This record gives sequence, C-alpha cells and structure tokens, in this order.
Amino acid sequence: MLSYILRRLGLAMVITVLAVTLLFLIIHMIPGDPVSTMLGPRASPELRAALEERMGLNRPLFVQIGLFFFNMLNGDLGTDVFSNRQVTDIVLGQLPYTLTLILSSITWSATLGITLGCYSAANRNSLADRLTGILSVSMIAVPAFVVSLYSLLIFAVNLKWFPAIGAGEPGNFSDQLWHLVLPSLAIGLSWVGYIARLVRASMLEIMGEGHVRTARSFGLPERWITYSYALRLAILPTVTVIGVGMGFLLSAAVFTEIVFSRPGLGKLVIDSITTRNYPVVMGAVLFSTLIFVASTTLADIVNAVLDPRVRSSK
Amino acid sequence: MKKTNIEWTKVPVSRRGFLQGASALGLVSATGLGFAGSAFAGGSILKTRAYADMRSLDPAFSQGVSDEEIQAPIYNKLIQYKPGSKWGWQLDAAESIEQVDDTHINFVLKDNIGYTNGFGAMTAEDVKYSFERIIDDKLESTNKPDWSALDHVEVTGERSGTIVLKNAFLPLWSITLPYIGGNIVSKKAFESVGGKIDTTPVATSGPYMHKSWEPKQKTTLVRNPDWKGDPAAFDEIQIYPIDDEKASEIAYEASEIDFTRVSLDSLQRLKSSPPENSTVAEFPSLFYVWVGMNLNNPKLGNLKLRQAIQYAIDVPSIMQASYFDGASPSTGIIAPGLSGHRAQSLTGAAANIDKAKQLFDESGESNVSLTIDVLNKSTNVTTAQIIQANLAAIGITLDVRLHEAATFWNLGGNEDLELILNRYSMTPDPFYATSWFISEQAGVWNWERFASEEFDKLHTDAQGEKDPAKRDMMYRRAQDLMEESGAYKFITHEATSNIYRNSITPALRPDGLPLYRYFNKA
Repeated sequence: MLSYILRRLGLAMVITVLAVTLLFLIIHMIPGDPVSTMLGPRASPELRAALEERMGLNRPLFVQIGLFFFNMLNGDLGTDVFSNRQVTDIVLGQLPYTLTLILSSITWSATLGITLGCYSAANRNSLADRLTGILSVSMIAVPAFVVSLYSLLIFAVNLKWFPAIGAGEPGNFSDQLWHLVLPSLAIGLSWVGYIARLVRASMLEIMGEGHVRTARSFGLPERWITYSYALRLAILPTVTVIGVGMGFLLSAAVFTEIVFSRPGLGKLVIDSITTRNYPVVMGAVLFSTLIFVASTTLADIVNAVLDPRVRSSK
Repeated sequence: MKKTNIEWTKVPVSRRGFLQGASALGLVSATGLGFAGSAFAGGSILKTRAYADMRSLDPAFSQGVSDEEIQAPIYNKLIQYKPGSKWGWQLDAAESIEQVDDTHINFVLKDNIGYTNGFGAMTAEDVKYSFERIIDDKLESTNKPDWSALDHVEVTGERSGTIVLKNAFLPLWSITLPYIGGNIVSKKAFESVGGKIDTTPVATSGPYMHKSWEPKQKTTLVRNPDWKGDPAAFDEIQIYPIDDEKASEIAYEASEIDFTRVSLDSLQRLKSSPPENSTVAEFPSLFYVWVGMNLNNPKLGNLKLRQAIQYAIDVPSIMQASYFDGASPSTGIIAPGLSGHRAQSLTGAAANIDKAKQLFDESGESNVSLTIDVLNKSTNVTTAQIIQANLAAIGITLDVRLHEAATFWNLGGNEDLELILNRYSMTPDPFYATSWFISEQAGVWNWERFASEEFDKLHTDAQGEKDPAKRDMMYRRAQDLMEESGAYKFITHEATSNIYRNSITPALRPDGLPLYRYFNKA
C-alpha cells in the first residue's frame, strides 16, 4: 500500500509541474500587454520599463518559468503589482472560501446522490425509481449558473430567505453558513443527479453478481446486502468521479463566485486574468492545480483502500 | 503664524483595535447581512457597491473611481467636488485657497483637521509632502501625470503654503486638487512606514476611518470620532465590490445594498416598477464613445470614403438598440456641462444615406471591405452590428472583430487597425479629453493616428487659457478639426443611472458618481 501511495504522490508532482508549466505558457501567450493594463494610459516609458523589470517580463520566457519554480520552492510566489501584497497571502486569503464552497457542495450532493441512487437501485422500476430518474436527469441538465440566477431571484430577491452577495462576516460561523446555502445549492445540484444515476447503475450491476446472490442464498437481510456488500463496491466509481470532478467544481465555482459576488479563487483568477496580473494568476493557478491533483490522488488512494485489486495493479 | 490648538487623541486604526472598540457595531452588521430583512441601511450603516475591489489606499498608486470612493471619505483634500448638478468645488481642508497668478496658488489650512493614530494636526508640510511625492521619480507614482504641472509646494507657515506650478494649468482645479492626486496624507505617518503604503492605512483624517478590508468582499469605513467638521451621517459605510451590474441590481433588490449604479437595459423596468422605497435617478455621463478610423491604413486613406462612413452611421438607431433610449447622441468628446461642449456635430447624429452614397461614389472606391475592432460587451456588439448594417446600405462590407478587455486595450499600437469602436473615461475638464488625440499620442491612445498641428497647439494653449469664452471656443474648434479629418464619428456620452433607498440622501457628482462623505440619512 505504501509503495502505491508513493507512486501516486510522485505522479502527482510530475502532473503538477507539467500542468503549471503549460498554464504559464498559455497565460503568457494571451495577447495583451500587462504593463499597459496595470499602469493605465498615462504611464511614462520609464515607469513602464521599471514595472517590466520588476515583473521580470523583459526576460526570456523559459527564464521566467525557471524563476517561477525556483521562487515557488522557496515559498515566494511574488507580489501583486497593484497592491504590493504577497501573492501567497492573497491566494491563501481566498482559498478557504473556494474550498468551503466546493467541499460543502460535494458533501451535500454526494450524501443525497448516494442515498437516492441506493434507494432507486433497491426499488428498481418502482414509481419512486422512475421519479428519481427524471429528477436526476433534470438536475444534470441544468447548468450551475442557471441555478445560481434562479435561486438568487427566488430565495434572495423574492422570498428574502437567504443573502444574495458576499460570504458572510469573518468569524461569524452561522452568518458564513447562511451565505453558503445558495452558492452551494447552485454548484451541488447537478452533482446530486449525476451521483444518483452513477450509484444506481453501479448498484444494479453489483446486485446481479455472484457474491451477492450467494449472500442472499445464505439468508442475509436485503438491507445488509445492499449497504454492506453492494454499496461498498458500487461506491468506487463514485469516489473516482468525485476526485476528477473537483476540476468541474472549480469551474462551476468561478461562475457562482461571480454571480453571488463571493470572494474565492475563481473570482481571483478571472479578475487577475482580465488585468494580466501575472503573479496573482500564476499563484491562483498553482493552488487550483494542487487542489485538482490532490483530489484525484486522494480518490485513487481511497479506491485502493476500498479495493485491494487497485493497489496490486501496476 | 497661529499654532494649531487641537489635541488629537490616538485613535487606533488597526483591525484589532476596531474590533475591540466596535464589537457591538460589528455584531449588528454581521447579523444584518445574514437576514435580508434587516439589511436596510435604515439604521446607521450605508451599504453600497463599487465596481471593483480596492487596490491601494496610497493616493500615489490609486487607480480609478473605486479607489477614490474609499479614499475620499478617509482623507482630506484642499478642495472637494461639490455635490449637485453643476461641476464645481468647495473648500475641504483649506480655509482659503486662491490662484494669485498663472503659476501660484496660495492656501491656508483649517486648524481643526488632524490625523488618526496620534499623528497630529494637518500642516502645510503634509500638503507639500503629499503633492511632491507624486512627482518624485523615485516613487514611480502612477498618478504623476495628474501633477505634471507641479514644480513644488512652498511652505510659508505651519498651515499655509503656495503651490508653485511650472506653467499655467487650469485643469488643476477640476481634475487634480479635487480628485485622487489631491488627497493629503500625513508626512510623519507615511515616513514612519517607509514612504508608501498599500492597503493598510497608517493615518487618515476624514470624517470616516478605514476599519477593515476583506479582499473581494467588502471595505468597511467607520466614523472618525476626532473629526471636527460636519459630522459623518453613518456609523459605518460598507462598500461591496460587485463588478457585474446585474449582480448589483439583484443585490439591491434583495435589500443587501442601498445604493448602486444600474444598467441601462434595466432602467426602464426599474423606472416603471421600482423596488419599494426606492428612487431611480439618471445623470449625464462624461464617458465618450466613438467610431474611429485609422488614418495611416491605406484602406482608409481616402477622405471621401471616411466621410461616407461618417454620414452612413445612424446614431439614433444605436441609442435605441444599444442604449435602450437611455442615452443621447454626442457631438464630440466633451460632454454637455463642460467647457468646449459643441451644441451640434458637423455630420449630424442621424444617418444621411443619400449624402453617404454620394460621397462613396465620389471617392471612386469599390468593393470596400473593412473590419471594426470592438470590446466584447453586449452594448458594443449591438452597436457594431448596427454600424455593419448602416455601412451595408451604402455598399461597404464590415466585419466585426471582438476582443476581451486586456487584448482590446492594447490594440492601439497595431498599424493595421481599420475601424475601432472605442470608449474613453473622462474627468470634468476638456483638457483630459483632448490629451489623448495629440500627435504625440499617435499609436498610443490616439488609435486613429490623427495628427494636426493646429489641434496640438489648441490643446497646449487651452490648458492655461483663463478666459472661459475663449477656452470654450478653443476646445470646440479642436473637435471640429477631429471631425473634419473624417476619422471620427461621435456616438454618445452614455448615461449613469443610480437606484437608492429613500432612507438615504445621496450626494453625487453631476455625472452621478457618489461622494460618500457627504451622503446623509433622509
């Protein structure tokens, strides 16, 4: 198991370096001069040259990439050109908001999705199963930004049950939770349907296998078979999907953070790209990549824990 | 010279200090956001929207309105913009201020203004430091051009001094002293932290103080207990950065903010059925939108062709489709209410297709196919599509090329540009408008490569012209020259629309931008 984990961590590091390098190149290939964007129209040539020097933009691209990684290893992601704040501080200040949003969304949607999937599988072809099926597909079909807008209009503007903007007062847990409800609903809703369909399909496949039939022939209770035998195996593809799905959740978080005017990594990336604030973009991209790589690696490790066949495979 | 007689208490501006001192206030605001019903500013909290997050609290490095909206209530200037429908200024930190000749402005400070955090009374040394640091090459201030005419500030007494200019510069009164560059910081405070600050204030002096900044979420200002002028109306001002106008409208309708700008396409709906206890107000804007033609591009070298394009574009259609009849056609780059505004343009707002066709025929051109570069905003896309249809009516094919913001704003250096749909921001002085179209700016911000010696001379001479009638005439002539070149078709100055709760009395510049320090409860 340990060697499997080490192999996965090694692979994660390689993926991170490749992904960050690729993103660095893409960001620097986008047309648009960051110095003009940052300094505004009336900057003098001397000022422009000084900023180019400070940002390292006058150096070849491969030197810039090398410097980025060198500084990163020393814990220095540079400074925001506008505010002179450390990029690490800026990103770490926004990261908790995005992590909270993503984790809360996946937690409630996975809990509900798995429950609905199990229920549908256990009651196959019943009215409840069919209704769950229709609801699940409907949820999958609705994009997060549509849910965001409608939930805002219904629950914030008309009913005034939930706040429309912000992430709540720092240090006030209940207020922050209150602000999390609608954004989390927007991101998680499609995942409920997706996970429910996935669990149902996996469950039905497992329920038809020999070891389940054997368990039944031993007279074990159906509930026991469903949740202790079938679900344990049926959950494996769901864990993988959730791990890979972190990337999709990050994308959905961008829209949601904009619609709800929430702070977060997604909004930070968008704002920084539009102003060509390279140090902040790279800092945010690095952390986003780390979240994605960490979640997929974790999913692989969880899979290996649940299924010994995975860790024995090369 | 009279000494200041005010003892300034040490008011902590650190987050911890305020959290201790205003915990009750914080609790109120915290629950206020959680429960929309109590989110009105009916109490003593003004909640408002900024179009962008704060970037800096240092006047030397602040950019744009969103920074100034935060700095104006916490710093003082010698003069401030006067709220109302006409552009003007009123005294702030200055007890008196007078331009004694072309290059000398004498001022005397009030004796009751001081800095928080124990940094003492405001003195003429602070004024000298604040203005001169911006022109200091070593500081690399992005706002240096605002003070380009400044030579130095002479301190003549503890609270008196003279601003000495290199040359006559009238815009100082309308775009420098009452705006970002006019904010007076504490010399002692700034020097104690190495000469510049970022987003953490070290000492402020206005009716409000900076309490906290939660990046991408909120900036909170609170009353300055040591403020001796007209008392601040609100215990707190919370400024939420909401870049999307639609999102801010939703936030308003959800009762979470009390004042916001609204988009023109929502204006009719909000005017016909405004949210409860709300007022919708419209203001003329200073921005200017135009279609430019690159004079250096051989495809547009023919004056008759450019004139045909000028006459083919139908601005009233654009007003209807892109601006939902919420804005009016413009006559130039200088908006109504400012010196130099023209009552009429030379080519008129409505299309004159017959004349356009005639000019096109006279040009001798055929099979003309052009491209217009446009920023990817829905208003611009609609405008470009109308222009496309207008030009098709006289036989010109127009392709529309969309760009995201950072790409678009770097197009100026592209020699191959053909047509451009452009929009520049503006300050309340015509000097600011003409400065982008002088020959020196060709390929920088003068994307049309318009070059006229007469225009350049008018721009230089008008900035020091004291006779208002003559100055007005000079700027009108400058715009005539632009239009006569065939490189410009002026579209609109747009409009600003605000919505606010009836529980507040906003104080606004003539262009509808807020002056929060003067906001009041109704």
